[in-house]
Amino acid sequence: MTTCTGQSRSEKTLLWAYAILVYLFLYAPVLTVIVLSFNDSHIVGLPLQGFTTRWFLVVFTRPELVAALGNSITLGILSATIGTALATLLALAYRRPFVGNGALFYLIIAPVILPSVVVGVILLVFFGLLKVPLSLWTTALVAHVTWVLPFAFLSLYPVTHRFDRSLEEAAGDLGATRAVVFRRIVFPLIRPGIIAAWLFAFSLSFDEFIRTLFLTGFERTLPVQFWYMIVESLSPEAPAMAVVIIVISVATSLAGAMLSRRSA
Amino acid sequence: MMNRNSRSAILLASPAIAWLLIFVALPCAFMLVMSFLTTGIFGIQFKFTWLNFSRMFDTSLYGFLLFKTFRIAIVTTLLTLLAAYPVALFLSSQRGAVKNVLLLLLFLPFWIGYVVRTFAWLPILGRTGLINQILLQLHIVSEPVEWLLYNEFAVYLGLVYVYLLFMVLPIFLAVDRIEPALYEAARDLGASRWKAFTRVTLPLSKPGVLSGSIMVFLLTFGAFVTPALLGGTSGIMYSNVIATQFFADNNWSFGSALSSVMTVVVIIFLITSGRFIGLRTIFLSRVEDRR
Repeated sequence: MTTCTGQSRSEKTLLWAYAILVYLFLYAPVLTVIVLSFNDSHIVGLPLQGFTTRWFLVVFTRPELVAALGNSITLGILSATIGTALATLLALAYRRPFVGNGALFYLIIAPVILPSVVVGVILLVFFGLLKVPLSLWTTALVAHVTWVLPFAFLSLYPVTHRFDRSLEEAAGDLGATRAVVFRRIVFPLIRPGIIAAWLFAFSLSFDEFIRTLFLTGFERTLPVQFWYMIVESLSPEAPAMAVVIIVISVATSLAGAMLSRRSA
Repeated sequence: MMNRNSRSAILLASPAIAWLLIFVALPCAFMLVMSFLTTGIFGIQFKFTWLNFSRMFDTSLYGFLLFKTFRIAIVTTLLTLLAAYPVALFLSSQRGAVKNVLLLLLFLPFWIGYVVRTFAWLPILGRTGLINQILLQLHIVSEPVEWLLYNEFAVYLGLVYVYLLFMVLPIFLAVDRIEPALYEAARDLGASRWKAFTRVTLPLSKPGVLSGSIMVFLLTFGAFVTPALLGGTSGIMYSNVIATQFFADNNWSFGSALSSVMTVVVIIFLITSGRFIGLRTIFLSRVEDRR
């Protein structure tokens, strides 16, 4: 069977070899960190000096690390919920062309297009001039919602455009009110897409770093805590903490991807 | 009828519109105003001044840094394009379950946040890192080498690593959509494999190449974590200097002015690239094509 790239056998071997190298390049650093998280050594690096799980114990018993983990999860849940709610209404609005939808689209993706440091700066200056004190639960939450909103919108846009509009029209013709149509027809159809968008938003918030660095007060999220841990002094528990972050972000993203695949 | 639809759509969109106006549009205006104020030891002085912008021309430092950041973004985009294109071809030539597994394996590392992924290079490139360990074991060097980290090379490596998927994915989606019959027809009509590739596959993958390049350029141009962790003093980029105004120098107005300049560069870049491909196409094309 030929494909549009129609390689000969030798080209195929070459492509496979190249792909293996690329996958190695992608995985080698991650695997190194995982191996080092179990390394019984006070320096982050080689040689390997025996197996230990004590760095994970450090991560789960140091109060500031546990607090950071809790902050990240709570902030992720809050911002994913607010962001996905706003994005769902927005995606539903975009099912029909409306006045100014072109211009609005640029405003929606502005937080994705602008450099992250610039987004941190505009919000910091904004809250600074308005004399709003910085805190994880106010200013950083705003930054997180603004960050996840466009992505939730972009992932919901195909969902709200996919389903059969005639179902809705039929219900309307049969006398159902708009609220009933939404509750009984539209919402059940887009629900898997909403959950997928929520998980996507959660993982984006969970991994967000620069905007949080600008806008959090004294409380730290996991990436911010991790950042100070590696730039101030490379603590030996850094790889273990990285592994905790890896597990949570990969698990939520994987769940989101599987859900959006199933709803596709 | 259209009018009523329009009104109900805007009503649905209004919470998000309000949010974006208050927390994106308005703060942008605040930043612009801030660029024309001064920050002294007594706080912000509300008096118009060009000082922040003229200061950028006092030394060649800021102009040089902007140019360097632009150069790093362009070179990274090209490197990523070269690295990604064969991967996209490879993925598109796979079938069935193998293809799905390979795609999943490609996504997986990119689900990890960039701080962790960038950090992961330290135990590879560092003094006690993997590469030095291998070189020592093989007796290629007798002392650990230091030049693997804290320079522009490490920044390029880290940036390609962090943003590769943003290039592979759009190219893959474009290549994967090409009708195989087109390529076969070219071959049947006597085109060599190379010619069929350059005349059929390559031009048809152009939207993917453009989308990926624009995304990688934007991400790299604003890079902060990679230069900060891997670049040392010689690998510093524009975002790092902006951050310094807020975290160390406490000069919000100069930091705002630098941010304004950066925003203008991004807007000019988008207007220029918009002549080849629009943002709406980049973000929504797959959906809107299907309708």
